[in-house]
Amino acid sequence: MRDKRSNPLCAIVAVLIMLFLIAPLVVIILASFTPTALITFPPKGFSLEWYANIFSKSNNFISGLANSLKIGLGATVLDIFIGVTASLAICRYDFKGKNMLLNYFTSPMYVPGVSFAFVLLQVYSQVGGVPGWARIFIGHFIIILPYIIRNTVSVLHVFNWTLEDAATSLGANPVQVFFKVTIPLAKPGILAGALLAFLYSFDEVALSSLLSTPRFVTLPIRIMNYMEMSFDPTLAAISTLLILCSLILVVLMEKFVGLDMFMR
Amino acid sequence: MATLELKDLTKKFGDFTAVDGMNLQVEDGEMIALLGGSGCGKTTTLRMIAGFTEPFSGSILVDGKDIGKVPAYKRNVGIFFQNYALFPHMTVYENVAFGLKIQKLPKAEIKERVDHILALVRLFGMEKRYPRELSGGQQQRVALARALVTRPSILLLDEPLSNLDAKLRVEMQVEIKRIQKKLGITTIIVTHDHEEAVSLADRVIVMNAGRILQVGTPKEVFDHPNSQFVADFMGFSTFIKGKVKLELPDRLIVDCSGRDICVTRPEGREVSEGDNCTLAIRSENIAILSDEDMEKLAYDKNALSAQENTLKGRVESVTYKGHSTRIEVSGCFAEPVYPAPIDYTGPGQGGEIMLHLPADKLCIYKN
Repeated sequence: MRDKRSNPLCAIVAVLIMLFLIAPLVVIILASFTPTALITFPPKGFSLEWYANIFSKSNNFISGLANSLKIGLGATVLDIFIGVTASLAICRYDFKGKNMLLNYFTSPMYVPGVSFAFVLLQVYSQVGGVPGWARIFIGHFIIILPYIIRNTVSVLHVFNWTLEDAATSLGANPVQVFFKVTIPLAKPGILAGALLAFLYSFDEVALSSLLSTPRFVTLPIRIMNYMEMSFDPTLAAISTLLILCSLILVVLMEKFVGLDMFMR
Repeated sequence: MATLELKDLTKKFGDFTAVDGMNLQVEDGEMIALLGGSGCGKTTTLRMIAGFTEPFSGSILVDGKDIGKVPAYKRNVGIFFQNYALFPHMTVYENVAFGLKIQKLPKAEIKERVDHILALVRLFGMEKRYPRELSGGQQQRVALARALVTRPSILLLDEPLSNLDAKLRVEMQVEIKRIQKKLGITTIIVTHDHEEAVSLADRVIVMNAGRILQVGTPKEVFDHPNSQFVADFMGFSTFIKGKVKLELPDRLIVDCSGRDICVTRPEGREVSEGDNCTLAIRSENIAILSDEDMEKLAYDKNALSAQENTLKGRVESVTYKGHSTRIEVSGCFAEPVYPAPIDYTGPGQGGEIMLHLPADKLCIYKN
């Protein structure tokens, strides 16, 4: 460890930057409790009225949330299977074009969402009759794959493959080796990738707004539509809830997977 | 426990032949060392025995049965890996118990066997620690315990001591030998360190370029390498070119750069009059004679044999090595001579020095 050196100027800049990062969140959270019909800061009084409004059926927030969860979880689970197997193949074997294959799998990350959505729209109109949920699911399924592959590869890249030989020599068959040694050790990367992928899908707007149909709408799209019509503190309330959910999810991951696995 | 036999074992990687028609028989309970430099095929041989890689041709017999088609996880071969390969997500206990859990043994029996083996490697009380919390020596013991607890028929040790410091190395040498003898398990050690090989094994196999060069007891291989290559590998440092001048029943007189050197005639290997040859000697076998020694020799007729291989040379450099001093001496032959006395108080750089090469310590190789 180096000696701690502090410069008052540095400290001030650091504090300002942190305030800058957190201030908008604080404003939104406080404003969500206002009893007024417009978002005001500081809030005049305290009310949970707008939170109650989230759950009113006519606003369709809950059905949007359900749709978002279905798409996000479904795509993430399916991508874990595909991403982990692809990562294993890329990391375990030495073959020509290995890096190209990795870049190929992660390329959706670099294609702008709008152009990608445009391509998908073309395909859907050619095929015809693609149901609303599938239109969004296919898009999300493809764009979140890179997050899982990237993170899994980063762990497997430094994986000690001798461990698999060791397990084999102790009598473990290939399936046992995979589930008792390889997967437990790759787990931090897989879970971190899955979390990022899920969160990406959960608040994805560009792609979803172009692909969604009026009958199947995800939560971010529902919020956007609501915003266009009315600008009341319901939006602040739902934002606060979403921030809270993300926070809980990240804390849980930290607790169960932890960063210590990366520090060996 | 088992016997192991390799028959014409060959492994090719593309055009490269890593192991070339290897034949070897290992007795039940024997400890042998495969010794050679990197790329000599020793590790490939080990991996073939373990079943991690398939031979190109030839067969591997355990107790007379060909195990070529048996998958690695059914071979019952214990392996100690060079980097230990301990499972980082498991405690010491879980690491050692891994193989037994795979065999689905009852919990009580697993506990009993793990406790027993941990006591044997002197790691009792460390069960709950993770590998990263152990020292290098302790990790090594865990790796050894894990390889032994499943009672493998054959134990393979891949460079078992290479990652340890000098003190631990000696300690583990004794430990490995003790445990191996106690369990009577057939063991193969792969190493590039000749000292490790001769101190651990009952028999040493020297390999190069996929072939066996010499098989013998540690003493045979260490003192009487059968070729110049093996001599070089076993740490011989002084090599002198010459020509056999005279053949006597028990010894040879070799002309080296105009000096007659007397060599005890080697058994078996035929070197005859007129052959070009190379003499080799280990540094610690070269004697340095003081002035008093020389005076004594001059009056003592019985010391005639010693007088024979006595040479005068010039000290080129003196390097203190701790347990010995390495000296480079020129002027005896065309090639330099490298004695390594334990206590050196003789002349420094540029000084004159008298050396004696004992006839029975010289090895001779036909060129």
